[in-house]
Amino acid sequence: MENNVGMITPSGGATTLAPAQDQSLQPPNPDLAVQIQHLDYFFGSGDLRKQALFDINLALPRGQIVIMTGPSGSGKTTLVSLIGALRTVRQGSLRVLGQELVGLGERDLVTVRRNIGFIFQGHNLFESLTARQNVEMSVELTGQFNTKRAQAEAMLGKLGLADRVGYKPNALSGGQKQRVAIARALVNHPQLVLADEPTAALDKQSGRDVVTLLQTLAREEGCTVLMVTHDNRILDVADRIINLVDGRLASDTSPDGYLQANAAVTC
Amino acid sequence: MGRIPLAWFNLVNERTRLLVAVAGVAFAVLLIFMNLGFLGALTTTASTIYSQIDAEVFLSSPQSLEISSTRVFPRERLYQAAGVEGVDRVMPFYSEYLLWRNPETGNSRAMFVYGINPRDPVFLMPELQEPTAREILRRPNTVLIDSLSRPEFGPQTTGLETEAGQRQVVIGGQYTLGGGFAADGTLIMGDQNFRRFFAPRPLNQINLGLIKLAPGANPDRVADTLRSQLPQDVQVFTKAEIIANDERFWLQTTSIGFIFGLGVVVSFVVGTVIVYQILYTDIRDHLPEYATLKAMGYRNYYLFQVVLQEALLLAGLGYIPGLLTALLLYDLTVNATAGSLPVSMNWGRMIFVMILTFAMCSLSGLISVRRATSADPADVFS
Repeated sequence: MENNVGMITPSGGATTLAPAQDQSLQPPNPDLAVQIQHLDYFFGSGDLRKQALFDINLALPRGQIVIMTGPSGSGKTTLVSLIGALRTVRQGSLRVLGQELVGLGERDLVTVRRNIGFIFQGHNLFESLTARQNVEMSVELTGQFNTKRAQAEAMLGKLGLADRVGYKPNALSGGQKQRVAIARALVNHPQLVLADEPTAALDKQSGRDVVTLLQTLAREEGCTVLMVTHDNRILDVADRIINLVDGRLASDTSPDGYLQANAAVTC
Repeated sequence: MGRIPLAWFNLVNERTRLLVAVAGVAFAVLLIFMNLGFLGALTTTASTIYSQIDAEVFLSSPQSLEISSTRVFPRERLYQAAGVEGVDRVMPFYSEYLLWRNPETGNSRAMFVYGINPRDPVFLMPELQEPTAREILRRPNTVLIDSLSRPEFGPQTTGLETEAGQRQVVIGGQYTLGGGFAADGTLIMGDQNFRRFFAPRPLNQINLGLIKLAPGANPDRVADTLRSQLPQDVQVFTKAEIIANDERFWLQTTSIGFIFGLGVVVSFVVGTVIVYQILYTDIRDHLPEYATLKAMGYRNYYLFQVVLQEALLLAGLGYIPGLLTALLLYDLTVNATAGSLPVSMNWGRMIFVMILTFAMCSLSGLISVRRATSADPADVFS
């Protein structure tokens, strides 16, 4: 599949792609969770300077579940880490939840991150803490020390882990660990969730369960989800699929359109 | 409900590593305690002899360094001092090294000898208060032997005959004093015997002048008067001053103070390295989690706190077993050296080492925390 996606033309079912060479910036739109305009990103400096992202224009409306695909090294991860305020951005415009990230310093970026839920490929849970304590670590950022226990347990309950709150990660299965990580990302009710290959380490059934739970909760909370994945078994949860190739947006379709386009090429 | 004590949970989660870390800190603490213990014993032994001498003011030659390396000076100075107001009694004090032959092995070894006039109540040891002790000191070629002398000098039974400085000598009795670092064993003999053993040395050249004051006299004032009245060929000390002088000699002008001081420094460095190693490994193993914390919105300051808390917890957990082991080894040392190396604990040292331990662990924490704060949350996306 990865070899084929590059062959799709950018115009294939595009809904929100801005004209490529127009350098003028649109005004901030409060209905968008993420508003990216003319974003370039470079790694390194001097002779080793290498451009990773080329003139990205992307708008994610609030409440949308978006899956981002693309071959390895296409810049998916870079783009997600930029949206997640994990790197400083210098060129173009990157608005996340209404806040312009271009030009922000490390201190302000940290504040932005607190409104975003992160789910990683590795669950990255502290082995020394129980499931509940791992989730509480997230609640503590909001300063709600009195209710943190109840909040953590409620969120773990929604993910079907009510009877596992006191277990340490070592005593949980891979799918359960990832669900704890999701609980940790969602417990503060973020308006934006960024997930990087959340099913990569899971078998088919657990991967499916995890993604379905994520979808249900996102709908419930009305939050925007941007998920990077190679796993084409879970594409159906998305409202929209965008494809990144060599640092450029290559396609932007609905799941049906994406599957049809891929099927056509593959056959 | 407060914050989750992440530092504590991280430490106790890996029992083996925690045990190794605590053992490492305890070991460093123990080493520091032993070095300071020996250093303290040294200064204690420097004052042992003076605390057993019944005098408040001391005269010595300006060329004397400490009790076992004295130069002689004229006895007239002591008689001059006797005329000063407040002085009750003056007593000459002789000292010299003497080769003592172990009657069982035939090996000779240097003994430190104190010579006194048998009529003078120089020493405070209970054994010398008996009237028989004076009588023994008057007998020719008869000495009292220190029961804390090293066992290599041989048996100490009363009546035992052996050879010392190429003369026959008889043990007349025992007393308990301890020679410290300067002497492996000590003897007390009467001044007439001293003259026989160390002929042709005359008795009008003395090593120390002991001045006992009348009740109520102020030692500092008498010492000042003596300083102004006596010629420059004698030094005047109060008891506290001469003890300080001997301690200063051992600590500052011999390698002993340096050795134990260096021991403390080395132990400190060893402890720092051990704690650093443990903390660094811990941070390295948890780097993705720390990076995730930063992605979630925790600041470097929080990670800094966690690592420092781990360091301080290690300090506290390591200090206690280190202290207990040190107490045990202090006891063992005192027993093994038959009390001649009086290693003992005091509050000042306990607090000093505790501060040192926390400093040691904080230092390691500060070095290793750079690794934790360098965790790049963007690296977790991969």
